[in-house]
Amino acid sequence: MTLKAAIMRGKRSVYEDFWALDEVSFEVPVGSTFGLIGSNGSGKSTLLKCLSKIYYPESGSISAYGKLAALLEVGSGFHHELSGRENIFLNGSILGMSKKEVTQKFDEIVDFSGVEHFIDQPVKNYSSGMYVRLGFSVAISVAPDILVVDEVLAVGDAEFQEKCRQKFIEFKNAGKTVILVSHSMDTVQQMCDKAAWLKNGRLVQVGEAAPTIQAYLGSLTTGSV
Amino acid sequence: MGYINEVISSRELLVNLTMREVKGKYKRTVFGQLWSLANPLAAMLIYTFVFAFIFKAHPDRGNPSGLDVFALWLLCGLLPWTFLATTINAGLGSLIANAGLVQKVYFSRIVLPLSNVAASGYNWLFEMGVLVVALSIAGAFVLPWLPLVVVLMVLLALFAAGIALMLAVANVYFRDTQNFVGILLQIWMYLTPIIYPLNLVQDQSDRIGGLFGTSITLVDVFRLNPMENFVDVFRQLLYDNRWPNASTFLVCTLWAFGSFIVGVWVFRRNEKNLAEAL
Repeated sequence: MTLKAAIMRGKRSVYEDFWALDEVSFEVPVGSTFGLIGSNGSGKSTLLKCLSKIYYPESGSISAYGKLAALLEVGSGFHHELSGRENIFLNGSILGMSKKEVTQKFDEIVDFSGVEHFIDQPVKNYSSGMYVRLGFSVAISVAPDILVVDEVLAVGDAEFQEKCRQKFIEFKNAGKTVILVSHSMDTVQQMCDKAAWLKNGRLVQVGEAAPTIQAYLGSLTTGSV
Repeated sequence: MGYINEVISSRELLVNLTMREVKGKYKRTVFGQLWSLANPLAAMLIYTFVFAFIFKAHPDRGNPSGLDVFALWLLCGLLPWTFLATTINAGLGSLIANAGLVQKVYFSRIVLPLSNVAASGYNWLFEMGVLVVALSIAGAFVLPWLPLVVVLMVLLALFAAGIALMLAVANVYFRDTQNFVGILLQIWMYLTPIIYPLNLVQDQSDRIGGLFGTSITLVDVFRLNPMENFVDVFRQLLYDNRWPNASTFLVCTLWAFGSFIVGVWVFRRNEKNLAEAL
């Protein structure tokens, strides 16, 4: 917003409120994997950002029972000139882990990322795949009760994706809750127990994953809600 | 209280972000940390040449230290000033520079500007260390005053942090802030007796007398500037080696806490909207 716009706002310009999300209420059972589906611009990412306390809803409330961690982007806060090792500690503390925790999990993180040989190299020399793998490995090691994931499963090569899938299954078996956004219906179908379908910021359907996905896909082919 | 706990619990993040700034800044330079001395040294040479050699500015001899070196006298005021200026500039841009982080991860946002304060504080500490060595070589007996110098440095850091916090928020809503601040800092610097002694202002002030028919003189107006007070106390401690004027020290303390409290308050009020506004 420019100064001019701010001054003008009180006078002549007219603006319309846009509600990115409205009347969206649902519960996510503990220990379930919950998928959010919908077309572009339907408010999925906004909802995730609200869940992860990046945005704050103007009205309504969100209650989380347990430690929540969000994986909206991998490698947040990486510094290009610093080494992989330094970045693991930096990124870990950004994600809310203590130095002790990171030290404990360090080997696990490095092992999972598969960049052992280059851990003391500056991350700017990493391939883009290595970069996201390292970022993902740190993020996944946060060990929250609830994990919020935005379309980041699609990182790395097939082998790494398989590793991630394993990690999520492990996570689920440990009784943790996962909330994820994906455009890949196969992923949602495979991983989620329940799903919610958003359209233009409103909740259309929520319930068991399979029928919700069916309804969503059905609306795409017929062109009606 | 909850907020204070939250900030305290993110102190490790603060340390890590500070180290990111410090380590990242001079990475891959040959001279590394020495570069942080280059700017004040260059400024010292320029100002000494122009103001001491050409304009013949002559500050009072250090009392009781007996020092009479313009360059050292200058640095006692210039180093605190450069710290303030770099802190404000870096802190001001810290939210925008880390916009990606603010929009993707939840953490206590106040650590971003504060880590910039800490990073410039680290450089400043290094510069002040070199200055203390130089002063000692020149014959000043600085050591007994160092604890008070450190206290004053902390006060100035609080003062700078408060301003940086307010401006960081303002800059998110009005990007014009950073351009304004660049100009304002320049004006502020020349209105603070850093490169010229206050006695030159005193001369003018005595000549003019009370302003607009009141008993307020030009020097009184000058002394309203918080940085004038800070620079004054720094010089009393480092250059003169004597007990600082208690009232001036008190003024510094009040400014420091006032600025910091208002800064934190402003920041806290706006913190939740930052991700959307960026």
